[in-house]
Amino acid sequence: MMTTIKKQTPKQAKTFLCAMVLAFGLNACSDYLDVAPEDKLIEEQMYQNVYDADAAVIGIYGKFMNLAEKYVVLNEMRADLMSTTYNSTPYLEQLSEHNVSDDNPYINPKDFYIVIQNCNDALLHFDQMLAEKRFTQSEYDQRYADIGCLRTWVYLQLGIHFGNVPYITKPVENLDDLKNPNLFPKLAFPQLLDELLKFTENLNYKKMYASGSSLLVTVDGFNTEKFFINKECLLGDLNLWKGNYLQAASYYKNVMESTPTGGANTLDYYRVKQAEVVTNDDLAVGYLRDYWEDATTLVDSDTKGWRSIFGRSRDVLWNTEWVWSLPYTSNFAPANPFINLFSKTGGSYMAKPSQRAMDLWNSQVQQNKFPYDARGPKFTYKMNGNDPVIKKYIYKFEAAADPFNKDGEWMLYRAAKLHLRYAEAANRDKQHKIANALLNLGINNAYTPADYVAGSSVADIQQTKEPFPYDFDARTGDYPYFRGPWHRGAGLRGRARLNALPVVGDSLISIENNIIDEAALELAYEGNRWEDLMRVALRRNDPAFLADKIYEKLSKDNNPHASEVRSKLMNVNNWYLPFVWK
Amino acid sequence: MTILKSTYKKILVALVAISWVSCSSPWDDREGSNDPNLNENLNEAIAATPETTTFSQLLIQSGYDKILEASKSYTVFAPTNEAMQLVDAAIINNPETLKQFVANHITLSAYPSVRKNEIDRLQMLSEKYLNFTGTNTIGDAQIVSSDHYAANGIFHVVNKALGPKLNIWEFINSKKETSAMSAFLVSLNDFSIYPEDAEAKETAEAGMYADSLSNSYLKNVYNLNNEKNEYTFFMMEDEGYNAEVDVMKKYLTKTTADSTATYASYFTLRDMALPKAYTKEQLPEEIVSRFGVTYKIDKTQIVGEPVLMSNGVLYIMKKVEVALDKRLVPTIIEGESTKRSSNYPDFNYKILYRDKKDPTLGAPNNGFFKDVSVRSLTVAKFTLGYSAKDFYSTTYKVYWRAINDFDSTVFQQQLQIGRVTSVVDNTNYVSIIKTFDYVPVERNNFKEVYIGEFTLTEARDLQRILLIGNNSTGAGTNSLTLDYLKFEPVIK
Repeated sequence: MMTTIKKQTPKQAKTFLCAMVLAFGLNACSDYLDVAPEDKLIEEQMYQNVYDADAAVIGIYGKFMNLAEKYVVLNEMRADLMSTTYNSTPYLEQLSEHNVSDDNPYINPKDFYIVIQNCNDALLHFDQMLAEKRFTQSEYDQRYADIGCLRTWVYLQLGIHFGNVPYITKPVENLDDLKNPNLFPKLAFPQLLDELLKFTENLNYKKMYASGSSLLVTVDGFNTEKFFINKECLLGDLNLWKGNYLQAASYYKNVMESTPTGGANTLDYYRVKQAEVVTNDDLAVGYLRDYWEDATTLVDSDTKGWRSIFGRSRDVLWNTEWVWSLPYTSNFAPANPFINLFSKTGGSYMAKPSQRAMDLWNSQVQQNKFPYDARGPKFTYKMNGNDPVIKKYIYKFEAAADPFNKDGEWMLYRAAKLHLRYAEAANRDKQHKIANALLNLGINNAYTPADYVAGSSVADIQQTKEPFPYDFDARTGDYPYFRGPWHRGAGLRGRARLNALPVVGDSLISIENNIIDEAALELAYEGNRWEDLMRVALRRNDPAFLADKIYEKLSKDNNPHASEVRSKLMNVNNWYLPFVWK
Repeated sequence: MTILKSTYKKILVALVAISWVSCSSPWDDREGSNDPNLNENLNEAIAATPETTTFSQLLIQSGYDKILEASKSYTVFAPTNEAMQLVDAAIINNPETLKQFVANHITLSAYPSVRKNEIDRLQMLSEKYLNFTGTNTIGDAQIVSSDHYAANGIFHVVNKALGPKLNIWEFINSKKETSAMSAFLVSLNDFSIYPEDAEAKETAEAGMYADSLSNSYLKNVYNLNNEKNEYTFFMMEDEGYNAEVDVMKKYLTKTTADSTATYASYFTLRDMALPKAYTKEQLPEEIVSRFGVTYKIDKTQIVGEPVLMSNGVLYIMKKVEVALDKRLVPTIIEGESTKRSSNYPDFNYKILYRDKKDPTLGAPNNGFFKDVSVRSLTVAKFTLGYSAKDFYSTTYKVYWRAINDFDSTVFQQQLQIGRVTSVVDNTNYVSIIKTFDYVPVERNNFKEVYIGEFTLTEARDLQRILLIGNNSTGAGTNSLTLDYLKFEPVIK
């Protein structure tokens, strides 16, 4: 060996060595190691038929569920109803105080873009599949619209929280390139909204999956119908943000009228039904019959009354309320993040109701004169020692009484939210009376004249007599017999056994304020608060609408930064999180 | 040629170095520990430490050396040889007490001087507890050198032997011959203050903790025989104790002088135990007993230094004076404590337990309260029943707070005070002490209303306190409502 080398020139020897190293190195990467995996699909094997497309859809929803905790934390901790606890991480405190550091894990936009990238990839392949006729036009339309809407939803959240974000609709080679504004320029929120509206309005299909679709099945023990985004709710929301109020109301009204044909709940579906005083088989705040003024008989159960909206299983009554909800089960990933976030006994108790929120509930007076709104201190939160604990997310976990059984839901859309959003749109579209009726005690109550004599004909009353989307028939009469489709509608405050709120001063502003206050009482911690405050504040061009509420939260919690945060939030640009890609 | 050789060598060395590194096994690396401390167990380590050789002898003598060779982990607080000189030879020469003595220096699992908690209450192998406070205090000893470790735990060298102390109840028992107060407390092993205590005594199983279950003081005040918790107890010398009891006798008059003395003693002493160990410096300015009695401790009355017990602190006091107006706490009965009864099964649903708010009150609880109301009755003299314990033999002024925010008219209700004299075949025989006049319940009145007074000649429970509706059957004229009743004892 030595002799061989000795005979060669130094340069040759080096080259030889380098060649050897390269040869070995390259050899390691050569094709013979590139065996097709036997337990995974490679890209070309995907998207063969409609069932592959279905698998992609379900898979994307699985990815989507990873956003649940961020969605709730960003929309609630930044707003006025949720506070940090003695257990909270500094990152949660930063969100609450609107002073985030770059390493805050809740504000990484990449998590949102991972879902978007998945959506874009699926949409591209759906197009290819259609071109290659691997599934029908109708199958394509439904799946394309579903994933398209889901992507729009994620973008809307990005816009709400980050303001300026890149809008990409095709899969990108390297996702990390998105942090480079030269490659992917950012759109401001108003422009993003226009893009989202344009894309979503142009979709060919806007209903839920047609009955008989291969996606309407039972997966892991759950019926999939309410897994999928409600496209018309999304379109309503986009139009509401944009200020197209009639359009928004129309989309919402379509959902409100999407009653399944026949069946027991024809008159109840998405109509915010009145209480069943005899059986309490309802979703209303209720007390035992005849014990109406007895606080000890409050219907506080996972199967009856208002609390059961969050505690009951996916039964007929559940379906009358829930529009969109994704279940967590201990048997399958992703894991339920909310037990850890909220539970004191089974989790880390990192978030609690703010004093401001508790004061809101406790300043209400129920129809039975009890000095609170039971939805708050009795159902949404309960005291555990001196600590208020948010319960909406943990009723199912506590009912299971098994620390390893972390079943639960990501609650995304329900009838109450639908009605509040519809009322917001209608109110802005000058339909104050209808908005106020749905917010308070329902159409029947609002459209029964004060001089109506019980028992006389209702043929001409208890209805709005307006064209779509403001047409409501809530007639209840026996001679002649009427049972209008909306005759059981109790209104949101009616269902909660509260009195109607007065309209003070300008109807438009007063009713809109009432709607946003009611959204706090009814929908707290379901992830709507920040966007509700932001939407109205932007619409009114009044940053104080948002800033004052957050100031009140912080000052009631004795946070020394309250005034500082208020002046910061008086500048709209400070509402947005920094776009820090990690 | 030379260049070639050196380059070649360098490459060769590099290759060899790389292969050498990649061939070394981290698994083998982790095995070798050169720490000699880990080669001996706690027993050996203590024996090998010159300051603790005396204690090491005792470990062998008591057999605990075998335990410290076990593979569990322990913490040992080993006294220095000087500290051991001060230990009573009687303890060491008796095998029983020696075992207890040694065991009180050892606890399971390792507690280093730097820990998460400021105070850890450690259960020693003697079953007694010692507080490990900060980095260097265990019980009443100081650690002189800490964190010696061995294969199966940690030992700290301490400047004082930690012989097992009595707990508060054991101390009281040890003084029963010489202290009137102790004698009384121990006598409650046999005498029952409440009827329920008698039942407990019948069912209590014999054993060292039998007192805890059946002694009327331990059962109704605090279990001073419990090693797990810590208490403060004030023990009065005879003169001060007798003076305080004498003051109480007027208010606890019973049928016999003996009973009167017993109850007067009990109601004097029930305020003398507190559920937390207070050192002299920590004693709060104002003390609140679990019965709501407030008083101040006059530190000049403390005899000597507080005695550190295994479950708290005991103060010998010349006397503890409690002002009568503080001692005789008012009795409050909440309106919503009434039960739906079988007397009026048809009307039970008319009894409503309500949540209300006093609009005149703000934080902390914003005036929230619960009350009871009954209305829309078609029966006359509907009645709500209450009972309460421990009324003194004195005059009571009676108040109620009753919120009428439902009837448009003012209605009236009355109060009746009575007691059950005997129960035969589930029938109560009662004696009525006082029936007050009807009092109107004004609308939306959130203030207390004075009802009148009554006098008890004997201290007793009142099992039959009735709120009675108007003698009328017209709905709206015979309603009842009650937030609370307040009985304020009058000082004689």
